[in-house]
Amino acid sequence: MISTFEQRRRRTGLFFVAPALIVLAAILFYPIVDSILLALQRVQLAGGAVTQQWTGFGNFERLFADAVFWKAARNTAYFSVMEVVLVTFLSLGVALLLNHSFGRSGFFRILLIVPWALAPVANAVLWKWILNANYGVLNGMLKSLGVIENNQVWLGTPFSALNFLLIVDVWKSVPFVALLMLAGLQRVPQSLYRAAYMDGAGPWRSFLHVTLPTMRGVIAIAIVLQTIWSLRVFDLVFVLTRGGPADATVLLNFLAYRVTFNFLDLGYGAAIANIIFALTFLLAAAYVWLLWPREPKGAR
Amino acid sequence: MSFARLREGGPLRKTVILAGLALFTFWSAAPILWLIISSLLEQKALIAQPPDLSPQNFTLENFSTVLAAAAALGRGIANSLIVSLFSTALALVLGAPAAYALARLPVPRANSIAFLILATQMLPGIAIAIPLFIVISKLGLIDNVLSLGIVYLSFNLPIVIWILRGFFLGIPSGIEKAAAVDGAGIFATFWYIVLPISLPPLSAAAVFAFVEAWNEFFFALILTRQQAQTVPLVIAQFAGQYQTVFGQMMAAAVISVAPVILLAVLFRNQIIRGFADGMMKG
Amino acid sequence: MIHSFNRRTLLKAGAAAGATMALPDFLGRTAQAQAAGLNVFSPLPPDPAPPGAAKFSEEAFAKWQADNGATVAYETLAWPQLHDRMATAFASGAAPWDITYNCGWVPEFESFLSPYADTLPKALVDDLPASSFATTTVGGKRYGTVFTLSLLTLFYNKELLEQAGFKEAPKTWDEMKACAKEMTRDGRFGFVLNYGDPAGIGGTASYWMVFLQQAGGKLYGEDGLPSFKSDEGVAALQMIVDLMPSTDPGSISYAGINDATNVLLAGRAGMMMNWPFMWNAANDPKQSQIVGKMTSAILPAGPKGSASIDGTDAWTIVKSSKNQDKAQKLIEFYLDAEVQKRQVLDTGWLPIRLSVLGDPEVQAKAPNAAVVLEQAKHPYDSFVTADYNQVTVAIGTEVQQALQGSKTAAQAIADAHEAVTAIVKRRG
Repeated sequence: MISTFEQRRRRTGLFFVAPALIVLAAILFYPIVDSILLALQRVQLAGGAVTQQWTGFGNFERLFADAVFWKAARNTAYFSVMEVVLVTFLSLGVALLLNHSFGRSGFFRILLIVPWALAPVANAVLWKWILNANYGVLNGMLKSLGVIENNQVWLGTPFSALNFLLIVDVWKSVPFVALLMLAGLQRVPQSLYRAAYMDGAGPWRSFLHVTLPTMRGVIAIAIVLQTIWSLRVFDLVFVLTRGGPADATVLLNFLAYRVTFNFLDLGYGAAIANIIFALTFLLAAAYVWLLWPREPKGAR
Repeated sequence: MSFARLREGGPLRKTVILAGLALFTFWSAAPILWLIISSLLEQKALIAQPPDLSPQNFTLENFSTVLAAAAALGRGIANSLIVSLFSTALALVLGAPAAYALARLPVPRANSIAFLILATQMLPGIAIAIPLFIVISKLGLIDNVLSLGIVYLSFNLPIVIWILRGFFLGIPSGIEKAAAVDGAGIFATFWYIVLPISLPPLSAAAVFAFVEAWNEFFFALILTRQQAQTVPLVIAQFAGQYQTVFGQMMAAAVISVAPVILLAVLFRNQIIRGFADGMMKG
Repeated sequence: MIHSFNRRTLLKAGAAAGATMALPDFLGRTAQAQAAGLNVFSPLPPDPAPPGAAKFSEEAFAKWQADNGATVAYETLAWPQLHDRMATAFASGAAPWDITYNCGWVPEFESFLSPYADTLPKALVDDLPASSFATTTVGGKRYGTVFTLSLLTLFYNKELLEQAGFKEAPKTWDEMKACAKEMTRDGRFGFVLNYGDPAGIGGTASYWMVFLQQAGGKLYGEDGLPSFKSDEGVAALQMIVDLMPSTDPGSISYAGINDATNVLLAGRAGMMMNWPFMWNAANDPKQSQIVGKMTSAILPAGPKGSASIDGTDAWTIVKSSKNQDKAQKLIEFYLDAEVQKRQVLDTGWLPIRLSVLGDPEVQAKAPNAAVVLEQAKHPYDSFVTADYNQVTVAIGTEVQQALQGSKTAAQAIADAHEAVTAIVKRRG
């Protein structure tokens, strides 16, 4: 009897999963396979048609000899690591603030959501104007506060430009992750804190031994999703700097775009996209392996 | 130190919390405030240094210009509503059972399947845009809101599955066992017992999918032509080759973000609780 | 007989449906299918758009459609996104348009376009500047017709110029440097430009090409290989570098020309290179603080005289179009003298027809038309090739490094030359 019930559960499970998998496969299978195959081809637009020619790993060889690719890879490494670290810590901080009795007002919740809900196109143009070196409001504000004497070209030097892209992206990304964290915090049972208090734990130790362990799953998924998203940042670069000055803000995904859509070098662009895919896959797998709560029952 | 004091903190911690909240308010609100102010100013005032905020420069003209071009914006909002609602509904209908099965039913290699689903998010959209365009145009479905909604499933469905799966993992197994003892089938258990207690995470997943679909730009650019244009494309219209009428663009942004904020206000409690449940356990 | 009668009735009904804008979508589509309409891919106004997409010559346009039994459906898109949508459609072999706008992309998309412009009526071709076809000619065949004369000229603030002690616009490089230097005071700058985006027409590399031609240099030699590692190439870049102390330092971060134009319109920069279309914006009291102070002149002469680049806004016909003849007729309508006149009077985009440019009414309404016409007497090659984007990114990135002082002009030009040679050789 039991085995039949188990069999039925297994059949129903497959029946439940299948539609989603079929739909995802129907949309993505051909594009993903095609993009992997494109990376092994030289694609040219000629004679009113697209000609494809197999080149083996030629695109990848070219990639590894391409200084711009390595520059983009370095920029991306810096950007992604900083982005994930900053977003995770700031979001945790914001969540702790909003979980305190002072921060529970609905006003803060709505305030948290607005940057996330703002259309990325408008967001990027908004920041382009805020950061403008001549008439931007950031310069105007800092000048009237006496913090700076002359206008600063925030997007003018490689270091500063990349970091301002980072700040804007963090501003846009914190809300969603902070929501996740806030939700996680609210799930920590008060009884655990009380028990820790009985054991004589102070605020810092109860945060370390009660809050963080319970939040492990939340933090893990925040880091995994944020890693995936940070490697796909595109619209900010496209609107704010176009990769400049002197390729200082070219990130891998922007490079993939530039090569694919501006240079129409579809094979080479697909090769870059595949590198992004491989990189994300490895990172996400590593995080899941490292951070995922092993035994759900141990968490409580 | 009492327990309540421990949770709330002493005067020092309270000061720190208040300062932190003030900083957070400034950090989140200042750019938004500037967005709203910009939407009310003439371009001439915006390019002054510092920006000229004298009262005579304030005007509603940006909004009236944007609304006069309302054909595009109105159609954009209508299209975006259809695309977002359609895509969100499908993501929930397909995602909820899949998440439930991956969490609670003995599906072989459930963890690997879940990771595979997440892995579909790792190839940049830029890479799949051209092959996707070929498929959609062979099917004759370019410039069609419903086909755009289906394409949006490619990024909404996986995230919805992950949010819901986390929630379903956290349901005490006693509930299902009790249902089984009462003779309820697996489907009935899912439908009559699991789903009703899952409304918060379902609405949270819905808000997530809705916002992402509402704001998506790149696929909308590639896969629509004129009739199916969505809101982000309409906003982008205010940035041309030689001219960006910043105030008008910001006015369009204010108008287009309103429905999403409204949704967020309506669902704010569900969003928090929903994610809390969903992310509790892996 | 009955069959054909029915078809004709349907056709008429379809045409009527197409003419009515307010009809629901599905009816509109039926109409398109039956009246064998023309699909035109165009930028949105205020970028250059044709009658029907922009508000001018609308009656003439309706009449043209009726006379020619054609329905024209516009697909409009913001200018910055045009190229991506076209590239996707062409790369997938499914371009749905009969006519497309083009901007320096003709060599890139050449294999998907028809060389229709070889068969334009002689009277029309004779009224167009011969060099306007430079950017639409590939392998000796003409694929497009430029429909607005859009050359960079010098825009300057007369008041600031006079305050700096000059009576008229600089005529040479030396005068320009001196003038820019004098204007740089009280938080203002002598010059401003957008050097942030290296690519395309209006990108960093293309501005260097202006100075390159003024120095007497060319981008490519007769063999098609780059030829700019020369004294002219270095002198052109050195000129931009020399201007930097009097240039708004934000210029290196301005990704679009509007970022730079705003500085000029706010009265905090004295000069910039700009396109004729911006003339109206500079005199619009809602956008500009320097109404009435803006003047334009031809670009200062380098060692070999003045020179500019071409904005190359052109109409092209897609090879897969089934209505080649009617498409050409429509483009000829866009270039009709009366339509061209309304184009400049109602939208501010200059005509391309010499006769219309010389029209007193046009010159009165667009005072800069004469200057642009004068500029057109000097070279204005944009050096577009199939890999123009790639070439301009390579050059522009090197130019940016020279502007930031991390490379000398000579070094940057040598490196750019090497990079472009590699690109051209890979193209094969």
